Amino acid sequence: MVRFDKVSLRYGAAAPVLDDLSFHLEPGSFHFILGASGAGKSSLLQLMYLWQRPSEGRISLFGRDTRELNRHDKALMRRRIGVVFQDFRLLDHLTTLENVALPLRVAGRNRPSLDEHTAELLSWVGLGDHLHNYPPTLSGGQQQRVAIARAVIARPSLLLADEPTGNVDDRLALRLLYLFEELNKMGTTVVIATHNEALAERFRQPMIRLTGGDAPLPGDRRRTAKARQ
Amino acid sequence: MFRRSDVPLEKDASARFLPWLIGFMVFLAALAVAATSAVTNLADRWDTGLTGRMTVQVPPPAPGTEDTTNMASRVQTVLDVLRSRQGVVRAEPVSEARMNELLRPWLGGDAAEADLPLPKLISVTVDTTSGVTAARLQDAIGPAVPNAVVEDHQKTLGRFLDVVWTVRMLALLVLGLVAGAAVITVIFVTRTGLAVHRQVIELLHLIGAHDSYVAAQFQRHAMRLGLLGGVIGLGLAVVTLFVLSQVVTMPDSAVVPEVRLALWQWGTLLLLPVITAGIATVTARVTVLRTLARME
Repeated sequence: MVRFDKVSLRYGAAAPVLDDLSFHLEPGSFHFILGASGAGKSSLLQLMYLWQRPSEGRISLFGRDTRELNRHDKALMRRRIGVVFQDFRLLDHLTTLENVALPLRVAGRNRPSLDEHTAELLSWVGLGDHLHNYPPTLSGGQQQRVAIARAVIARPSLLLADEPTGNVDDRLALRLLYLFEELNKMGTTVVIATHNEALAERFRQPMIRLTGGDAPLPGDRRRTAKARQ
Repeated sequence: MFRRSDVPLEKDASARFLPWLIGFMVFLAALAVAATSAVTNLADRWDTGLTGRMTVQVPPPAPGTEDTTNMASRVQTVLDVLRSRQGVVRAEPVSEARMNELLRPWLGGDAAEADLPLPKLISVTVDTTSGVTAARLQDAIGPAVPNAVVEDHQKTLGRFLDVVWTVRMLALLVLGLVAGAAVITVIFVTRTGLAVHRQVIELLHLIGAHDSYVAAQFQRHAMRLGLLGGVIGLGLAVVTLFVLSQVVTMPDSAVVPEVRLALWQWGTLLLLPVITAGIATVTARVTVLRTLARME
């Protein structure tokens, strides 16, 4: 599903954010990416959803080397990946329903099926009464659930979530993670980046730990991330 | 239930100023097209009416000369010469009534009563294939009535056709400039839109949108604005042309040629908003696709 082979990522001439990462995520697996703030969790996810290119090494997604993908292929591949962004990235001029249905629209799905399916999903995440509200009128937790609903609406093969529980209380955080687990049971490969190690440990799923960042480990002065699986 | 555009372009400043800018350009283009059409029509009418036609002016004898022959016999002499020439199909004096009619715009209704030394005119129709020229007729008439002058309308028409050609070229230049300005404006507006809505476009890409999906958002917006601007410009042009036609057909303005457009020429004018919308659509699409392709 996802294969990293000696992958490094650096911005400009600075020290690499990620250095010599190698791992393989099996289809249908569930992984947490753990690390302190600045450890490179978001960068790692960006590599997975093809927003960054590795400075070195090779990444394979769905069995294809990402270096061989053109813009058209990338767009098609991204339709198989659902992403929950740390800052949600909701479109303020669209309603909740329209935001969640966006991936379906982009994929060219027709409207009647899209309305019904989207409203059903929003009810499932507890936003059935907010279908026609605009994001700025929603709380942080509600916006997060809209972002999650948008990420899963198209039933992606790979779901990437960047701090999906960052803006919600523990009770809702657990509920959201159970939602991800449910999706995983239906066959979706799930990767969750979080700094909340205690929450992740409750799920007994494999973890990728990134060292480095703002809280460097003793003896590690470089802002370099290495994976320990 | 769903908005048509995922990119909120309708809230941009461009949505307010672009239609007026395009409207102004379409207004200029419409006037250029109308002017060309009117002048071309006039040239066609003159061409049809004047081919094979000449006019002979028989002026009264110069004061103080010994030529005491009266005007009627001078005219008759010229007519005799003309009618004896091969290739002259018809030679008839222009009637007094027609002369007065022709002079009325210049001299008013009292032209007939005024004791003016006006020349007599003879309308001549020639067979254009016979080789008869104004110069040959002049040579034939000259010995009989020395100051009679043969006027070849083809010469005047030729100069007028040169003017028509120049007007056409100017109109083409105006159309080219207007189209170029429209393209540059739409490119600028589209690039600004891409920069302003960069985050929205990034998101669309991240959820799997092709560049053509993003381009479609911009091209629909540009088409709407182009069409709106085109209708505004055409509306203003139609009002202007209507006022102009009223002024031209006023009784005191007989000197100004009548500006009339055929139905198909009005149809051409009506196409301007559609053409403008098409130019805006294609420009926006190409701009978006090129810009996005350079982003990676």
